[in-house]
Amino acid sequence: MASNKKEEKPKEKPKRRSAGQWAVAWRRFQRNKAGVFGLIIVMAVFFVGIFGSFFAPYPARPDTGAYAPFYEKPSQVRKPPSWLDPEQPNKWKYLFGTTPIGTDVFSDVIHGTKYTIYVGLVVTIITMALSIVVGAIAGFYGRWVDNLLMRTAEVFLVFPSLLFILVFVRIFTLTVGEPFWTIPIVNVQIPAGLTIVILILALFNWASNARMIRGEFLRVRELEFIEAERALGASNIRIIFRHILPNLLSSVIVVSTLTIAYAILLEAAVSFLGFGDVNTITWGQILQENFSEMRTVWWAEIFPGIAILLTVFGFNLLGDGLSDALNPRLRE
Amino acid sequence: MTETTLNIEGLKTYFFTEAGIVKAVDGISFNLKKGESLGLVGESGSGKTVTALSVLRIVPKPGRIIDGKVEFNGDDLFKKTEKEMRRIRGSEIAIIFQDPSSSLNPVYNVETQLRDVIIAHQNIPKKEARKKLIELLETVELPDAETRMREYPHQFSGGMKQRVAIARALALEPTLLFADEPTTNLDVTIQAQVLDLLNDLKKRFGMSLVMITHDMGIIAKMTTRVVVLYAGRVCEIAKTYDLFERPRHPYTEALLAAVPRLDRRKTLRVIPGNIPNLIEPPTGCRFHPRCNYATQTCKEDIPVLEEIEPEHFVACHEWRNISLKGERSH
Repeated sequence: MASNKKEEKPKEKPKRRSAGQWAVAWRRFQRNKAGVFGLIIVMAVFFVGIFGSFFAPYPARPDTGAYAPFYEKPSQVRKPPSWLDPEQPNKWKYLFGTTPIGTDVFSDVIHGTKYTIYVGLVVTIITMALSIVVGAIAGFYGRWVDNLLMRTAEVFLVFPSLLFILVFVRIFTLTVGEPFWTIPIVNVQIPAGLTIVILILALFNWASNARMIRGEFLRVRELEFIEAERALGASNIRIIFRHILPNLLSSVIVVSTLTIAYAILLEAAVSFLGFGDVNTITWGQILQENFSEMRTVWWAEIFPGIAILLTVFGFNLLGDGLSDALNPRLRE
Repeated sequence: MTETTLNIEGLKTYFFTEAGIVKAVDGISFNLKKGESLGLVGESGSGKTVTALSVLRIVPKPGRIIDGKVEFNGDDLFKKTEKEMRRIRGSEIAIIFQDPSSSLNPVYNVETQLRDVIIAHQNIPKKEARKKLIELLETVELPDAETRMREYPHQFSGGMKQRVAIARALALEPTLLFADEPTTNLDVTIQAQVLDLLNDLKKRFGMSLVMITHDMGIIAKMTTRVVVLYAGRVCEIAKTYDLFERPRHPYTEALLAAVPRLDRRKTLRVIPGNIPNLIEPPTGCRFHPRCNYATQTCKEDIPVLEEIEPEHFVACHEWRNISLKGERSH
């Protein structure tokens, strides 16, 4: 009896994915050291973004009026990182130094992490949604639909996108009245200016991804099982959603990861150039605020810069690792 | 007389490519009786597969059915709506494809994939569909079906995948099955197993079978009647035995001569030349540039299919004047 039960147990609770391609991919991913390193960085960024406000040494700045002096004591202004400062007895006091207006750079970086994640994720979600819809329609219907959509995508690709992004961001942020929007029903506050930046970044980013999705779509569409499904009476809708799109999932994951990195970098660039949302202190915003005194207060530029670099680096490594792990051409 | 399951008349399916119109199927007619095994033979590009896809009305773009009539159990399939056709596909007419390695969706396990087909057509509860599925996989002799159906296509060997593909085609108990070179990509030993299985299933389910192949050995083993296609047209239709004994079309003779045999010490004969360009096919008889017996008439007039003896049709101007060697005399 007992042995019988043991044999039957795995049958009752089948681990449906255990032998599937995801398990294979995960095993392959684990062997890729760079990819795992990227994953660790990314997880660390998410951790800081979510829980940062609990362990940041100083509270976040007030929501508005970023330029208003926050720390009253003039003695706190322009302090180098404590561990480099012979006059500072507490070596942990200001890990990344303080800014010309007296804020702690370390705390600023920690509080900025959540905005970085917000930018990366939301830009990517919108971008991928747009590019999947466009890519799928172009790839499935082909012919003039494909032509129209892909020529439109090319128009977006040939734009000097940063320039256009800056122009659009300036135009739209000027029209924003309040610094925060409240999403009805869930009652969540989102930074208005930053959200506009996000929407515009997404608008200028979908084209290359849509082209990639379309290409993949065309590849999968020609595989024999699509013909087989059609021969079994599957409709277009069913073929697109049930058979083609799931096969694109691995590519979508890889591209999404890389898009997150790109979005973070772009937002930092927009903010650094002074076109960002002054009410949300993103990493790019920190760079922008302290740029004028970079020669003396270098720590206020170096450390946020390293944060951006590491995060983008982490997402890129993760994306490359995932790409190797999910690449069907190398599949076991 | 036995009833006709499938009747194809003057089927024309063209592909409108940028290079020109490819006349892949250009006026093919033949019929299939209930319970019959019919062979569809020809080189690559002779229109075998396109004929099958046309019957199911799933010709891929830029292909289009231009003309002709396909009657299935007396119903004109070209007059059906797309919705009616979707019901017929799979549940009435099914097809097995050539390449088992890509004919299953890699992201789903076998159970999900096959259950989907059953549920989509028959609207029965999951549990029942699953039971049916196990039975089905046992029918196609998939060992340890209940465990293995939770595995993914990449975990199966080619022969096993083809068995799964056959099971999927049979899931809805179709009355007509197209087998499009079902064994081309398999090992020789597995080939024999799969063919035996198909024969077996055909008897058990009482299906009509159209065997699409370029392998005369498979034709001999599997079919009772053969349609020989060349460049989108029918050359010859005959009982398999007659075709092998007394081919009447020069192309059939050449095909038979090109079958390797172990019991004859002879170099293998090949058909000179290539299958013609179907955008601008040869005038008259399409085989004439490669035919040893071609005359001036062959270059000018299109031969019509005539019944030269009961149930033996041939489309050749010269059939009266030439005597061709059957399979035994090579």
